[in-house]
Amino acid sequence: MNISRRTLLGSSLLLGASAGLSACGGSKPSPDSPSTPDGGVFPPGKMIMYGYGQPQWLLEYYNPWLERHQDIAKGVTIDMVQNEGEAQARQKLIQAMSAQDYASAADVIQTSRVSLLDMAKNDILVDFTDYLSGIEDKLVPGALSDSAYDGKLYGLPDSVRPQLLFYNQDILDTYGIDAESLSTMDGYLEAGRKLKTDSKGAVQLSQIDPTTLAWRYWGRRGLLPQAGAQIWGDDGSVVFGDSEGTRKALGYLGTLQSEGHLFVTKMFQAPLYDAIKAGKIATFYIGAFFDEFLRGNVADMAGKWRAQPAPVFEDVGTAGAPVIGLFCAVKKPEGQYSALWQQLWNDFQFDAEARQTWTTKMVEENAPYANPIALDLLKDPFWKEPSDFYGGQSFRETEALGLQNSSANLRVTKDDAEADALISPELEKFIAGDQSIDDAIKNAHEALKSRISTTDPK
Amino acid sequence: MKRPSGTISARAGRWICYTLMLIITVYSILPAAWMMLIALHPKSSSMTGAAVLDMSNLTLSNFPEVNRLIPVWTNIGNSLFTTAIGTVTTLFFCSLAGFAFAKIRFPGREFLFYALVGTMLVPPEVAVIPLFMIMTDLSLTNSLWSLIIPKMATAVGIFYMRQYIKAVPDEVIEAARVDGCGPFRTYWQIVLPMIKPGLAVWTTLTVIARWNDFFWPLVFLRSQEKYTLMQAISLLPVGEGLSTPWPIIMAGTAIAIVPPVIGYVIFQRFQKADMTAGAVKG
Amino acid sequence: MLSFARRHGAGYLFIVPFFALFLVFQLFPILWTFYISTQEWSGLGEPESVGLKNFRLLLTDPQFWDATANTLIYWVCGLVFILPLAMGISLLLNKRDLHGLRTFKTLTFLPYVCATVAIGLIFNIMFDTQQGLVNEVLGLVGLDQVGWLTTTTWSKVPVIVLNVWRHTPWFALILLGGLLNIPRDYYEAAKVDGAGAARTFWHITLPSLRPVLMFCMIMITVESWNIFAEPFIMRGPGTSNVSLFQYMYESSFRLFKYGYGAAIGVALTLILALVSIIQLFLMRKDADA
Repeated sequence: MNISRRTLLGSSLLLGASAGLSACGGSKPSPDSPSTPDGGVFPPGKMIMYGYGQPQWLLEYYNPWLERHQDIAKGVTIDMVQNEGEAQARQKLIQAMSAQDYASAADVIQTSRVSLLDMAKNDILVDFTDYLSGIEDKLVPGALSDSAYDGKLYGLPDSVRPQLLFYNQDILDTYGIDAESLSTMDGYLEAGRKLKTDSKGAVQLSQIDPTTLAWRYWGRRGLLPQAGAQIWGDDGSVVFGDSEGTRKALGYLGTLQSEGHLFVTKMFQAPLYDAIKAGKIATFYIGAFFDEFLRGNVADMAGKWRAQPAPVFEDVGTAGAPVIGLFCAVKKPEGQYSALWQQLWNDFQFDAEARQTWTTKMVEENAPYANPIALDLLKDPFWKEPSDFYGGQSFRETEALGLQNSSANLRVTKDDAEADALISPELEKFIAGDQSIDDAIKNAHEALKSRISTTDPK
Repeated sequence: MKRPSGTISARAGRWICYTLMLIITVYSILPAAWMMLIALHPKSSSMTGAAVLDMSNLTLSNFPEVNRLIPVWTNIGNSLFTTAIGTVTTLFFCSLAGFAFAKIRFPGREFLFYALVGTMLVPPEVAVIPLFMIMTDLSLTNSLWSLIIPKMATAVGIFYMRQYIKAVPDEVIEAARVDGCGPFRTYWQIVLPMIKPGLAVWTTLTVIARWNDFFWPLVFLRSQEKYTLMQAISLLPVGEGLSTPWPIIMAGTAIAIVPPVIGYVIFQRFQKADMTAGAVKG
Repeated sequence: MLSFARRHGAGYLFIVPFFALFLVFQLFPILWTFYISTQEWSGLGEPESVGLKNFRLLLTDPQFWDATANTLIYWVCGLVFILPLAMGISLLLNKRDLHGLRTFKTLTFLPYVCATVAIGLIFNIMFDTQQGLVNEVLGLVGLDQVGWLTTTTWSKVPVIVLNVWRHTPWFALILLGGLLNIPRDYYEAAKVDGAGAARTFWHITLPSLRPVLMFCMIMITVESWNIFAEPFIMRGPGTSNVSLFQYMYESSFRLFKYGYGAAIGVALTLILALVSIIQLFLMRKDADA
């Protein structure tokens, strides 16, 4: 495509003169797999990372690590480019790569499964198959399940975090609900009914976002994997609406919503936190990442919240699917830091002492952190320490516990970003009261069939 | 003002005017004032509804926290640079072209002017992807100049300046020509001083547009130390996984809107002539 | 030839920066976008030529039609609310015998000074269904809670309010400029004829403002069809308040369907061109005045 672009450029009156400027590119590509430079020492320079969420806290690990490794990485600094989300990071990389602007292209990109598939398919990611397959059995089960494309491993998992149930112990005590009863979906629904009746509607069981996050947190990451639903069949055809799991999962959500157990307000917005503080929401069925939101925004409720693994459908028996945070190294011409990044990542996961020091610091600053994914590290009692915010319960231990009985994630294909954009609006229309849940499933199924029809199932 | 209006209906009319003024003023300042108020609340306090009116323990502590999350001063510097250079260049090129369209006769002038008006209809935002590639070819990505150069001469600005310069009497231009002034000197020494109020309006509008520009920095700038303030602020709350407390976010947005507000108020006070006098002449 | 250059050179020289920038940064990228709209492309690798497939998909895409209808509503509401409000404010500002006009002028201009992104965040808080300020005020006068951003019926309202709120001052300023340009003696003559305020407004003020109003209408049109930040920040359920430009942005940069996004861009450009050509045609005789 660069040829035709340049041709067009050339024919454009004014840019004819600037043709010289465009004569870049053609540099040698970096090797497929990370290779250590001669003598194991990396040249000074900037290692560019595209991150999202709160990547600046990771720098508090990375920068001291570079300090400690002056022998191999003297003069190397990390430029952490913060992005609004996964899509923006990918967009920036695409722009830089297709314009051959390697000076600003990332060496390392934080990403998601869908984006990894596209980037791997277009051969811009460094292949870590040898390294990762060698350490696979040292990691929590399933840690590499989002990393593969076409038989090779590209993504270095940063964290593997389960679906959990957060609950307000005070509210449960007030209404005489036993947390144990929330371990099944039936019990969870019963608790919602009891809360509704006894509080005369003042307290609701949980919350739901009126926009796209409803599908993400309740659907894709939550109830669907727990109910064994699928969007795609093994042959890549659409099975969404035909899948019994989908009807079970969304039917359950439909009951929760139409019986009025869900507080409808936007995720992460100020009104949500006010509702939490006012005791209007009893529980959250959501990923472990919600921990940092509670700590950061309702810090004054310390001691009131608890967490436990997500409730299960009794006939299925597994709790929520884990969310894997992924980082990939970019195969860019003259890129020189993929091997350095691999070492840094390796130590972040396996250096018990440094990881604990960093975690302690994060706790002190009320900053986000996740459990390590190395099985050896998790054995240390440090990862079972009690948390003040959870009234002495160990959140880290609960997080580890949540992983043990987790469901497999939905199959993710290259078309899943689009699938989300087709399914989510139908679910949103249901939450807004414009259609029944059955119609939402039917319409989403039809939309998937007419817009995508089949996908590449690998 | 000096003589009280005589009739009852005229007095009633004045009171209607004052009532309207009051309503419009409240409506105009409420959202920003509300934001400032939230920014002054401690992290854990209530932020919704009338609860915000509880002003028992206001604090400034959210502001330093913003600086901890993003390099505020660097970002402010970038915004100032882009705004200042962007405004000066836009003023120059727009008024120059506006002068040509209003006062210099040359073949095809009317056609070119319609062409210019026509370009207003084509939103450049539509073409983001190719634009980025062009910027890269010109080595402008991740440079503040990528925000300045494409907007050095805008159709709206030229249109506005032309309408304004048309009001300058032809005799003045003619007299300058007779005195031996070339076109550029006529523009620089005769026209520019005469259109100061018009320039003031366009300065105001450009400064605000540049400072608040959100979309383009998002596309062209790619590292934290190059971000403009607006872009940096926008990253405070919206990420998937961000948990920045809302008073801190509001402190961030307050930091972003206070400088232009202060700038505007000062600008208004020091303005001798009514700056809208003779704006857009029909 | 040389004398032509000497006589007219300055005129061309002065306007050439604009046209040069336009070619490089606007026209060329837009033509390129037309090309991309015939491709299937995720941004990486080779684009695949698919002819008019993207446009065929567009015609049967309910989300596209929702976005088009929403944007149309934003445009009409922009015209219906911004122009009269701006007119009202500029008329007040033009009444030189009122006290506190300077302060009033400063304060009413503030919305335009505030960034949409920043105000969008506070609007999300103020328009919350359960605990927002707006619903609390409605509650005081005995009205029910309105699901501003939680129902498809109402989710366009906060977007429209923000759009109108922020853009009115700009147009008030432009209109005030127009008002100040109406010769005083027109009004004197009307007074002598015994015309009331309403008649003076209809027969003198409005006709004199015709070119300025046309300019405002074009600007509102261009800005309304490009509306992005407001619905982007205040997302409602489903596609209930998505704008066309936002749909293009999200197709390109969230779903990485660059070809499809470009096709939406082409549709947007064509719609805008059509609407504006009609408007330009209407204002043709005013532009030279």
